[in-house]
Amino acid sequence: MSKIMTVDVLSSIKGAQPSEAVNKLFDAIKKAQPLNNNAFNNNHNNYVSLTDLRDDVVIESSSIEKQIIIENFPKEKNGYLVVSKVIEE
Amino acid sequence: MDSQIHKIHQQLVDKKISCTALIQQKLNALKENTNNTVNSLLNDLALQLAAKVDTKIVNGDTIGLLEGIPFGIKDVYMLQGTYATASSNLLKNYKSPYTATAIQKLLDAGAIPIVKENCDSFGHGSSSENTIFGAVKNANNSDLVGGGSSGGSAVNVAKDYTIFSIGGDTGGSVRQPAGYNHVYGLKPTYGRISRYGLMAYASSTDCVGPIAKSVEDIRILLNVMSGKDVKDQTTYASAEITKDSISNAKAIKIVGYFKNFIENDAIDSKIKADFLTTIEKIKAKGIEVKELDFFKSDILVSTYYTLAMAETASNLSRLDGSNYGNRIDDKNLKESYAITRSENFSEETKRRIVGGNQVLSQGFSDEIYLKGLALRDAISENFENDFKEVDIILSPVTPNSPPKIGDSLKDPHAMYLSDAYTVGFSLGQLPTLTIPKGTETGLQITAAKNNDELVLKFANFLKDTI
Repeated sequence: MSKIMTVDVLSSIKGAQPSEAVNKLFDAIKKAQPLNNNAFNNNHNNYVSLTDLRDDVVIESSSIEKQIIIENFPKEKNGYLVVSKVIEE
Repeated sequence: MDSQIHKIHQQLVDKKISCTALIQQKLNALKENTNNTVNSLLNDLALQLAAKVDTKIVNGDTIGLLEGIPFGIKDVYMLQGTYATASSNLLKNYKSPYTATAIQKLLDAGAIPIVKENCDSFGHGSSSENTIFGAVKNANNSDLVGGGSSGGSAVNVAKDYTIFSIGGDTGGSVRQPAGYNHVYGLKPTYGRISRYGLMAYASSTDCVGPIAKSVEDIRILLNVMSGKDVKDQTTYASAEITKDSISNAKAIKIVGYFKNFIENDAIDSKIKADFLTTIEKIKAKGIEVKELDFFKSDILVSTYYTLAMAETASNLSRLDGSNYGNRIDDKNLKESYAITRSENFSEETKRRIVGGNQVLSQGFSDEIYLKGLALRDAISENFENDFKEVDIILSPVTPNSPPKIGDSLKDPHAMYLSDAYTVGFSLGQLPTLTIPKGTETGLQITAAKNNDELVLKFANFLKDTI
């Protein structure tokens, strides 16, 4: 995708601009000494072993869980949950 | 201070107080409190559970150690049927459809949840001022912040409104408010406690963390909540930590501290002097103390925030008002998303989402995000090397005392820098405990990964030493 997207579009936040406070943090990273370390995630051993993957099964939600999910839905009309809009593009 | 859990347990067993009376007393205190620690009170649920405990006691049944003990929950955890607002406008009416694993384990042990606690919205902040429920006021001085992001939880424990509270620590959010309010707060090794049901901020450093008034209570809670969980595949099985195993610190021969944390201009002179006094006391007990080299504070803070913002931009992208949340409709779907997010996120949350999308964008990711990842690896490697030389790393919790309410909002960059001493251990995924001793905002005790036991052992030793 060659289209350039600005941060307000990327973030879905109207009028969003990069902030000075955050840019100062990024400047510190840019200035940091280059590292001779291209092996990312060397020390992050949070992987799951292939023999230890969880079962690929559908777990039925409880009726109370389903009820709360429906309650949390932002809009309801005549017993239907109303979505905000459809994608038109 | 001695274990509050054991003390209350004994009072219940000896029938010196009924569980219902105890819970009612705590609910009343929370309702009347002026520190803004409460997002919602769990009156009905708590009193219902208390009545069951009272019935057991009256019938002469044995009750477990945590049965009937009132506790608080940072408002970023799911507890089925209760509000989970993340202190945000977007989720102010959102109800938890299910219960977080860590909280379920406490419920299974009989502990009684009484309050969902105020915090920085989605954990975004170090002062608990970025919240729709009003700034949390410090337990010891109401002009000062309660710290953050688990500010309400730390203040509730400090004020005895809860016996313990469950906070969440991504870059210091349990340890810093614990330090600011003079209580204990643990960030366990990443993966020791399941994150299932904790709203994701930065998934690679998010940790469930107990806040309490004694090392013993922290030990009890850690044991109950730890363990492998198929719903969070970063979890691992861990052995129980016994009371005896942390009763003496003979195994600890060498303690290290980061020289550059102490020898700089940013640290308050009293915190520095008190920290160095603590070091002398440790030496006087025959423990060798080593000065260690570490990354500069600005690099630590920048690396942490770069990665945390990238992760939060991704995690919070689901909050668009489609399936839940305070949806605002507009002319088309994209506009509806944008207006919902623009109107409902706090300024700090927006700042972090935008920052995250900046670093993940083409052109920026190489020089910032990928470099941040490489720096994180270097930081982790540094820790691994340090723990070949020392058993424990000791550090202050914060460079300064708690700011006045309002100051952090005026200067976000200064707020980020105030996390300088906590974020490194988060990046390293190391177990770190704040103890309310040694300096005005306490001390952090850190050990190598998976060595949470050694942290508690040294905390017990320091309790008697300083």
